[in-house]
Amino acid sequence: MLRQLLVIVGLAVCCLASDEHCCSEEDHRIVQHQWDVLWRDTESSKIKIGFGRLLLTKLAKEIPEVADLFKRVDIEHPEGPKFAAHSLRILNALDMTINLLDDPPALAAALDHLAHQHEVREGVKKAHFKKFGEILAGGLPRVLDDYDALAWKSCLKGILTKIASKLNA
Amino acid sequence: MKIVLVLLALVAAAMADHHCGTLAGLKVKSEWGRAYGSGHDREAFAQAIWRATFAQAPESRDLFKRVHGEDTSHPEFIAHAERVLGGLDIAINTLDQPETLKEELDHLQHQHEGRKIPDNYFDAFKTSILHVVAAKLGRCWDREAWDHCIEHIEKGIQGH
Repeated sequence: MLRQLLVIVGLAVCCLASDEHCCSEEDHRIVQHQWDVLWRDTESSKIKIGFGRLLLTKLAKEIPEVADLFKRVDIEHPEGPKFAAHSLRILNALDMTINLLDDPPALAAALDHLAHQHEVREGVKKAHFKKFGEILAGGLPRVLDDYDALAWKSCLKGILTKIASKLNA
Repeated sequence: MKIVLVLLALVAAAMADHHCGTLAGLKVKSEWGRAYGSGHDREAFAQAIWRATFAQAPESRDLFKRVHGEDTSHPEFIAHAERVLGGLDIAINTLDQPETLKEELDHLQHQHEGRKIPDNYFDAFKTSILHVVAAKLGRCWDREAWDHCIEHIEKGIQGH
C-alpha cells in the first residue's frame, strides 16, 4: 500500500516538475517535420488562407461571441481579401512559433509578443484558445497524412497556453 | 541598319520590365520559397538580412532598442527578425493576389507609421534582402525581378 502510494506520489512529482517531457526535443522535431510537408508547393498562401479561414470560421461558429472579435478583419466576408490577409497572419504566426520550437528563448520572446497582441484585444478569452486548440487538433490530421497526435498535442498546448497567458478571463 | 537598331531598342525596352509584373512576381515567389527555409536556417537567414542592414545604416539600430537591436543574437531580436520575415512572406506570397496584398501592406503600413523611418533605411533593407537571397540561391535568381518586387512591397509599407 505504502509502496503504491509512493509510486503514485513519485509519478505526480515527476510530471509536475518536469516540463521538459512536454514537447521534448523529439516531439518538436516530429512536429516541425510533419508541418513542413504542407509547404512543399509554391502556392503556400492558398493553403494558409484556406486552412486559416476554416479554423477561424469554425471557431466563430462554435463560440458565436468570437465573430464580433474579428469584425475589424471582416469575418462577415470570409472569402474577402481582408479576412484572407488575416488568415495568413494567424497561420504565419503559428508557422513562426513551430519553426522556433528548437530555440526556446527566441520562442519565448515571440510568444510573449503574441500574448501582448492578444492582451490588448478586449473580449479575447482563454476559453477561445482552448477551443481553437481542439479545432486545430481536429483539423491537422485531415491535411497531414503523417500526424503524431501526442507530439502535436504537447507542443500546441505549450504554444497556445503562452499566447493566452496575459488574458484575464 | 537603322531599322534593326530601332527594333533592337524596342525589344530591349520591352524586356526590361520596370515594375513588379505578373511574371516577375511568380519568379520572386518561387525563389523566395527556396531561400526562406525553415527552423535554424530561417533564423540565420533573418539575422543575416538584419546584420547587412545595420552594416549599411548603423544609425538604424536605434529604432530597434525595444527588441535589443544592439545584439542581433538576442532572443528578443531573433523573434523580431522572424516576425519581419513572416510579414514579408505574406507580402511575397500574395504578389499574385493584389487585393489580399493590399490588405496586408495596409496592415504593415499602419504598424510602421509614426516610427519615423527614413527612406534610406528601406533602401538598405532591400539591398540586404537582395544580397542574402543571392548568397543563399547562388546562380538561380533574378536580381531585377527582386529589386522591383521588394520595392513594390516597401512602397506599400511606406505609404508613398
